[in-house]
Amino acid sequence: MDYISQLYLPGAVPIWAAVVFSLAAVWGYSLVLRGDESARVFARRAYTFFALAIALAAMVLIVELVRRDFRIEYVFQYSGTELPVHYQFAAFWAGQKGSFLIWLLWGSLIGLGVMRTAGKAEAPVMAIYTLTVMGLLFILVRENPFVMLGQTPAEGQGLNPLLQDDWMVIHPPIMFTGYALSAVPFAFAMAALWRRDYKNWAARAFPWTLAGFLVLGTAILMGGYWAYKTLGWGGYWGWDPVENASLIPWLFGVVLLHGLYLERTKGRYRRVNYLLATAGYMAVLYGTFLTRSGVLADFSVHSFVDLGISGWLIALMAVFLAIPLYLLVTRWREIPVVRNEDPMFSRGAFLVLSTMTVAVAALVITAGTSAPLLTGFMENPGQVGPDFYNRVNLPIAILVALLLSIVPFLTWRGTPLRELLRKLVLPAVAAAAVTGVAVYLAVRDPFHVAFVFLAVLALVTNLQKAFQRAQAQGIGAAGGWLSHVGVGIILIGFLASSAYDQSTKVTLAQGQPKQVGDMTLTFTRFIPRQGREKERMEVRVEKDGKEFFAYPKLFVNDRTRQVMANPDIKTSALRDLYISPIEFDPGSEAGAPQTVQLAQGESLEVGGRTVTFAGFDLRSHDADGPMRALERGEQISVGAAVDITADGQTQRVMPVYAFTSQGAVTAQPISLPGGGGIAVTGINANDGKVQLDLYGLTGGDVEPARLSLDVTKKPLIQLVWYGLYVILAGGLLSLWKRLQQARRHDEVAAASGEV
Amino acid sequence: MKTKRWTYVLGGVLLLVFAGFSLASFRSALTPYVDYGKAREGGRAVQVAGALVAGSSSYDDATGLLHFTLHDEETGQTLPVRYEGLKPANFEEAISIVAIGTYDEASGELAANKLLVKCPSKYQGAEVKEYS
Repeated sequence: MDYISQLYLPGAVPIWAAVVFSLAAVWGYSLVLRGDESARVFARRAYTFFALAIALAAMVLIVELVRRDFRIEYVFQYSGTELPVHYQFAAFWAGQKGSFLIWLLWGSLIGLGVMRTAGKAEAPVMAIYTLTVMGLLFILVRENPFVMLGQTPAEGQGLNPLLQDDWMVIHPPIMFTGYALSAVPFAFAMAALWRRDYKNWAARAFPWTLAGFLVLGTAILMGGYWAYKTLGWGGYWGWDPVENASLIPWLFGVVLLHGLYLERTKGRYRRVNYLLATAGYMAVLYGTFLTRSGVLADFSVHSFVDLGISGWLIALMAVFLAIPLYLLVTRWREIPVVRNEDPMFSRGAFLVLSTMTVAVAALVITAGTSAPLLTGFMENPGQVGPDFYNRVNLPIAILVALLLSIVPFLTWRGTPLRELLRKLVLPAVAAAAVTGVAVYLAVRDPFHVAFVFLAVLALVTNLQKAFQRAQAQGIGAAGGWLSHVGVGIILIGFLASSAYDQSTKVTLAQGQPKQVGDMTLTFTRFIPRQGREKERMEVRVEKDGKEFFAYPKLFVNDRTRQVMANPDIKTSALRDLYISPIEFDPGSEAGAPQTVQLAQGESLEVGGRTVTFAGFDLRSHDADGPMRALERGEQISVGAAVDITADGQTQRVMPVYAFTSQGAVTAQPISLPGGGGIAVTGINANDGKVQLDLYGLTGGDVEPARLSLDVTKKPLIQLVWYGLYVILAGGLLSLWKRLQQARRHDEVAAASGEV
Repeated sequence: MKTKRWTYVLGGVLLLVFAGFSLASFRSALTPYVDYGKAREGGRAVQVAGALVAGSSSYDDATGLLHFTLHDEETGQTLPVRYEGLKPANFEEAISIVAIGTYDEASGELAANKLLVKCPSKYQGAEVKEYS
């Protein structure tokens, strides 16, 4: 009872209810499997109630977060009274428990769709699928997000400022939708094995696999954007275990998509597809295990600390490995096999080759991510850095580009080599021309030359094919080829932006231009915080007579005192200019201004410049004069006209002193021509003197403000985003076409009465 | 059938070559986790962990290098580190910093090319960011 009294029941009860409903659903579907057709309605209802219970639990957590009910430990840990409402959503998935809940929420809702589309395989598919979501559910039973604290704190700990970002609101839920979708092809595959119905699952599972590919791809794209544009990590991809944990299932998804395509059209690849569906789901579980169990704690990264769920995650992996293993071993010989009799240069053979290549990439990345475990037996376990991934994936990328360039010209029956070469001539000439330009500009490494040539070739040949297909069979038929075009584009983007970026570190003293490559950079001023806009640095960039301003940000978070940096990115057609602040030194003038008093007409020599107080300026005031305004309690501002003379040239500046009768004073410093600053900090009405604070006028020990920047030119980095857009657009086209076909198929099936 | 077998052999050989290449890359890219004593032996890239010694970090404008000292609470040893790259956002507040690089005997510092920064436990379970 003690444990129960520590739980927030409106949230905890739905979770327990979900356990009951999910068990009931599995039981109901197992009855159906044993031939009791009447249990189907019961099982469906049980599953629907399960999904509703999870939705209710999620709703309770969101409401409690928005209410900022700090009694609940999770709310206390990730929310705060000052946290804006949209970040309360981010707080939902900021912690372990909430992120499992959002994953489970999507998983349970997706199950409702699976239930409707599984057709004859509904019972075994839903039984397996419900087991997969139950794995997540039990994590939440153990690590209940509705645990309450002994007393109610007045304030929550707030969301990590690094996570207070719009991307944090949108990126994780999409990622978890992708994870949740990876269980669907797995459930279809296991159900097919279970029922020994090896023929029909590929068509049913295909749209779900495609949806998972699209959603996970979108999440990866967003993660890359976030890392690149806001976090200032310098790049879009760091080969960090958390990033890899989303990439590996995505790559297996790509392979499975092609495998299912091969199975649907030619009846080939059946055995492999069961393995691939398993691999995709296992990759999600394994990635979760790596990043959530604390096994990488010493080596990472976005590390989540160990919540004590690693044992459970290992058990989950064991169960969901044992099921396919058992089914495959018992049925391996029964699975109908169409013998591979494709000639070498046929679409079938190339599909196998290219998908296997991508699978190898997924395996190699898995091995790299697992390095701390693989080397765990050694005296000093370690991890591998980005070097490993870049080096190993370079030949893979070249091979993929080669296969992709040829595949548009191949037919199922095989294309004679002579004809193939003839068709390749024109695209090869175009690719060679582009490669020539690349070699002329920068590319010298022979591997890189081959890489560029093949990537462009793949782009050209697939684009050609996509046009042909779109013209002949409508745009929906061009989806797959369009995605291949995207692969060509993204490969060029990867190479250019990673191997040919130019990074310079530079420290700029305020007001002093500095040459950086073909640009002249000047740190012009520090812009204080204005409302929600954080402190910014203004940097003038001049190039070829044109100038523009960049505004990198470097600020201290109010509550945590963490120094935060945001880059500013200037995008042009061929490259991004990535300006990231490293360090800001306000200079000694900010800390120790020189305070002087000057009477009207009096001059002072400071650091080679003459400062002359020319007189007060009251023109800015109403006709009835400043005293009346003061009597009315308004703010009075008095300008002090100051002449600055340097090298025989005089310029007048007008710092302003503002005050009210209550004694509130504002003395905003303004900058001086030639550097430094000035502020009026007092006026003496009796003797007509002005008190001035001078910043940065004296030489010697007075230092100007300095800004250290990392300035990186990233050529063609736009192609990474465009390439991924095109890949996803191609996938979307295919999904659209598939869904249309499926609807037609269902209509035909319904008309003939065999649903 | 003859050509088929031949392609399988070729594929197998290619796979083996690639496996060997991957293993070699893996071994050379591996950065073992070591204590400071072992790190000072130099010769290869390693990773060390420790707490930032308060006030030890300074950024050198001229060279663009960040210098700081790590302290290992278990052994009580310290290790100077220099780092070339963007300073992590929450560097000063980190409870633990992992530096990956090679020991430079001439300067007596670990020349790090990558830092991992762990946030204070207040945000335990939230995030740790990586910088490379």
